Amino acid sequence: MSLLQNSFEENVLTTKVDWLLNWARLSSIWPMTFGLACCAIEMMAVGAAHHDIDRFGAGAFRATPRQADLMIVAGTVNFKMGERVKRLYDQMPSPKYVIAMGACATGGGPYYKYGYTVMKGVDRIIPVDVYIAGCPPRPEALLEGLMKLQDKIRNTSVIRKPARTA
Amino acid sequence: MDFNSIHQRLLAINAPGVLSADTPRAADPEDKADKGRAGEAFVLIDRSEALNFLLAVRDDAALAFDMLVDLTGTDPDAEDEDLWLNLHLLSLAHGHRLAVKAMVPKSNAVVPSMVAAHMAAHYHERECSEMFGIHFEGNPDLRNILLPDDWIGFPLRKDYEFPKEYHGVSCE
Repeated sequence: MSLLQNSFEENVLTTKVDWLLNWARLSSIWPMTFGLACCAIEMMAVGAAHHDIDRFGAGAFRATPRQADLMIVAGTVNFKMGERVKRLYDQMPSPKYVIAMGACATGGGPYYKYGYTVMKGVDRIIPVDVYIAGCPPRPEALLEGLMKLQDKIRNTSVIRKPARTA
Repeated sequence: MDFNSIHQRLLAINAPGVLSADTPRAADPEDKADKGRAGEAFVLIDRSEALNFLLAVRDDAALAFDMLVDLTGTDPDAEDEDLWLNLHLLSLAHGHRLAVKAMVPKSNAVVPSMVAAHMAAHYHERECSEMFGIHFEGNPDLRNILLPDDWIGFPLRKDYEFPKEYHGVSCE
């Protein structure tokens, strides 16, 4: 930085590309309006004034996958819905992230043994970034999961590192 | 009307398909299987006359069962040869109720559709059809409601085997 320090006008900032892109991405993770079961009630509570997911820049629930960055799988995924979930995920533009919220989306939850139509975890069809435990998780847990996702994004890099030579 | 008067009336108007009536009683503590059979009194009817029965009790002024509250099935046991078809009727005019059962053999689970008597039967029959595999002959649209269209088996039957995989996704 020292090389560039004070070598521009006052209204120019210098930063790292990775830092800037990550900051932009993690500060406005727009989730998709997408609730499957009781976890969605907790997700709505997170969106409401008391817990206020907008503090993390993730309050703009989009009604279309094409404008969304984050899919919060909030609830039980059965096979019939699973195909729709997959299709919605495919319609989201990259970079896209998935939070598996609650026991059902993580691994089938209470339907693990006798839920003949329940998918034993949404990670069987789409890649999951963050798993949140609970049945359903408290709103604070979803916020914790969101912060974990932000941590994950913060540590990503868009700059391609030079290939190592053996 | 109480159950006994309803039963008398059914016999008086010669309602089609009435086989017998179960009187209200407590479950036999010695017989475990009896627990599910005792309780609310019901009229047992012949399944092939189900539609005619509903029409008759709907149009009779004294009975006037004008509402079909529920239509569902029961599979009492995997060894049992019969499914039960359960109907719950309510008369809004008189405020009395009636439970009706019909035995449906698993080998030939076909029942006439009751949509002609009660439109409420339509969706109930669809669900009953996908869950128990009872075919309702004459139902205008007997597609699955809850299960995917290509689902194999009838989940609420006692001998149902869970799928190993569905569309390439493992169920284990």
